[in-house]
Amino acid sequence: MKPVISGRSLMAVLTVLFSCFSCEIASRSTSDRTASAYVVESIQMPVGLNSEVGGIGFLPDGRLIACFHRGEVMTYAPDTKEWKLFAEGLHDPLGLLVISNKEVLVMQQPELTRIQDTDGDGQADLYETVMDKFGISGNYHEFNYGPVRDKAGNMFIALNTGSSGDKIRSQVRGELKTDGRDGDTGNRQMFSVVPFRGWVMKLTPAGELMPFAMGFRSPNGIGFDSEGRLLVADNQGDWVSTSSLYHVEEGKFYGHPASLVWKKDWHQGNPFFMPVSELNAMRTKAIVLFPQGIMANSPSQILCDTTRGKFGPFGGQLLVGEMNHKRIIRVMLETVDGALQGACLPFLDEGDLRMGNNRLAFAPDGSLWVGQTDHGWAGDEGIQRISFTGVTPMDVYTMKLTPVGFDLTFTRPVDTGNASDPAHYRLRHYYYDYYKKGPQEGVDDAIQLDVQTVKVTDIKISGDGRTVSLVLDKLKAGYVYELKLENIKSEDGRALEHPLICYTLNHLKSQDLSSAVK
Amino acid sequence: MSASHTIFRKGISGALLACCFFPLSTRINEKTTTVPAQKEVTTIALNAIPGLQYDEVRIVVKPGSRVKITLTNKDDMSHNLVITTPGKRLEVVHAAVKLGEKGPSLNYIPQSPDVLWSIPVLSPGQAGSITFTAPEKTGIYPYVCTFPGHGFSMYGAMYVMSAGELPELLKDENVPPARRKGNDTNDSHASPSVADHPYPLTPPYLYRAYMMDASPAAIAVRLTDNLAYCWDAGSCELRYVWEGGFVDNTGLWKGKPNSEAKVLGKIFYRNSVTQPLRTGSPDRIQQVEFRGYKLINRYPEFHYTVDGTDVYELIRPTEKGDGLIRTFTIPRGNEDVWFIGAPTDGMKFESTAGTWRKQTLLVPVSGIKNFSIVMTKREGRKP
Repeated sequence: MKPVISGRSLMAVLTVLFSCFSCEIASRSTSDRTASAYVVESIQMPVGLNSEVGGIGFLPDGRLIACFHRGEVMTYAPDTKEWKLFAEGLHDPLGLLVISNKEVLVMQQPELTRIQDTDGDGQADLYETVMDKFGISGNYHEFNYGPVRDKAGNMFIALNTGSSGDKIRSQVRGELKTDGRDGDTGNRQMFSVVPFRGWVMKLTPAGELMPFAMGFRSPNGIGFDSEGRLLVADNQGDWVSTSSLYHVEEGKFYGHPASLVWKKDWHQGNPFFMPVSELNAMRTKAIVLFPQGIMANSPSQILCDTTRGKFGPFGGQLLVGEMNHKRIIRVMLETVDGALQGACLPFLDEGDLRMGNNRLAFAPDGSLWVGQTDHGWAGDEGIQRISFTGVTPMDVYTMKLTPVGFDLTFTRPVDTGNASDPAHYRLRHYYYDYYKKGPQEGVDDAIQLDVQTVKVTDIKISGDGRTVSLVLDKLKAGYVYELKLENIKSEDGRALEHPLICYTLNHLKSQDLSSAVK
Repeated sequence: MSASHTIFRKGISGALLACCFFPLSTRINEKTTTVPAQKEVTTIALNAIPGLQYDEVRIVVKPGSRVKITLTNKDDMSHNLVITTPGKRLEVVHAAVKLGEKGPSLNYIPQSPDVLWSIPVLSPGQAGSITFTAPEKTGIYPYVCTFPGHGFSMYGAMYVMSAGELPELLKDENVPPARRKGNDTNDSHASPSVADHPYPLTPPYLYRAYMMDASPAAIAVRLTDNLAYCWDAGSCELRYVWEGGFVDNTGLWKGKPNSEAKVLGKIFYRNSVTQPLRTGSPDRIQQVEFRGYKLINRYPEFHYTVDGTDVYELIRPTEKGDGLIRTFTIPRGNEDVWFIGAPTDGMKFESTAGTWRKQTLLVPVSGIKNFSIVMTKREGRKP
């Protein structure tokens, strides 16, 4: 297959996986073992734009639409490479949802706004408040994310808690409840002193707003999986010390206590002073943990690959942005014991991808566009486009739990020589505690507890060479199983692209199922 | 959480603390860090500060001298410090990324001959130090935080030199670009940047922002090069009007705590009446809801409801630029409307409909479909 990059300026086109890679090599043959599966191209941004990207989407006519931290909403025509201003003056817009070529919903700090070009001159002239029924304390960290819309037309938004590193303003919007904060000063805990900070809210097509789920800290990622289930990627910090992917269901609590004060009929006072065991019993755990400093430090938007193969072999799986690494994460889920759980690994790592991968959207042609930001944190600015070249990467396709270990299915048949040697599977497990961090403890600290090496006792490789079944000497629920694959290659000699994968084991597969499988 | 976990954690924190807290006021300057005497220890206090940076981006030591660097973490994120061989900062940063699953347990410090000395990851408020003998070989030895994502902006240069001048900071490529403007870590808020956006700004235009003396849902509108006002989308009212410059969004745009769009002019009118536009009765505070705005020749026409009645308010400057023309449209109202100005406002109010009694305007229901109130400065009166 001819790569997407042909005919474009070599300078503008960057390769992902191999720095020595060039266009000539790519166009030679897909059997070339070093040919990249994906190429990354940096989009030229308008001069004078502070390109901290808050949201991106595609209009029905194929143009990109993006909102930026200083309040601009701009469109970009990929064919002519032309940027145009659509709207301006917004307060820290961090999400958008395209309605039509002339209309977009934007989530900004004070409200969800419907922005329309009603006179057809290409620039918005109508800014209507769709929903502003949530509190603002004026704390700089009270970011708002979304909206995302389900098949029934319900919209979901996520509201960040306030930061202990900032105050609240003398005038706030909404009822002020100081019980949502850890003491008078807030210490190091994120807080929720105005309504529904730390919540996911649901807005029905009829316009009814419902507090939906609570216990979030910095839910900068909200989206759906292939089955339409609502997911949130929350940033680690106090209480939950490693970043988490949650399956969000109505009425559930996900761990950060501040938001509990806005629960209906809440009578337990300041939740920061409740026994940790009690809070722990109330919370719903993550379906996937992103080990801190290993897989992610700050995950962002969740996007399901719905491109039906246009973007490569990972259809139906999830992509999640990451701020602190030059990385986009891939997540695969499965249902075990009635609950979702699964594994994460880098989808793209290093190479020409930048850091600060905050927002993701698929273009109609199946390429993935990535909006980046830094905003005082680790990151970068701008927009990059990632295209599938047609070359199937050598990667872990799925990692699935079995009653006795894991089944690893690869995108290509494995070299059975290497793959049948237990020495090539370095596996360890650990867990992260749920607890109230002390004021001297770093927000970024995440302590791995009970770190133990797990032995692989048996390996079976399927007839087609694509699935490797690992039998482990023990399997325990409540642990991250971190697998480092060493020297695993494809049958035709391709090196494994991403050798580190982390499976969050909340539920074991029952023995009944085990006998059924056997 | 079990007791053993707590101890484990404390154990780790303790291990990180080669603890040596310097008083907050300890700031080095480049002259005092150049200590010529052998055997004596040159002490250097570095701080990790908000914005992914060290407070000092250049330090100077003598070749072969004993040096003690203490890093205090005054940020709310975790940081380490790694001193590398000359020119190897980025290589070491990449090697730290490559540590993968081993990163956290190694404090993100790769094992490499290019790593000379290091201070492990410090939590906020913690301090750690390292004592070493400076290289005999003069040169520029980078120091950098290798916590994931930090190494591309959080670094500085240790100059090992026995004599001579440091290069001009402005042109020193060994310090982060953002710090080449001067060693002052405080940003200058003196003037807003000319190139704030990828297009020229011509009034009228607006910013939604946090602003003083308004709810957090405030809107700053620039009407002319000399006239601006603050509209409160919470209380649905004009809050204040000023002349001079517009707003400085520097802090707000940097995502700084306690920041707002700072008014760059002189406020000459402040509304002191709670919800001055009332329907049906002048004596009752009514429910308001903000519905958005439409741009008419780029002037925002605000849409809000007062007790459920739709009100549209378009605000334009007077021809002389000494006040505002506020045009109200209440298309479906079926009651009289009052507008209450305060005598202390320092403004002269006139209207195209209704009758004034002192500072209160009554517009009968017959006139509410469209009327304007013109507010101009009363000469010689202070607000």
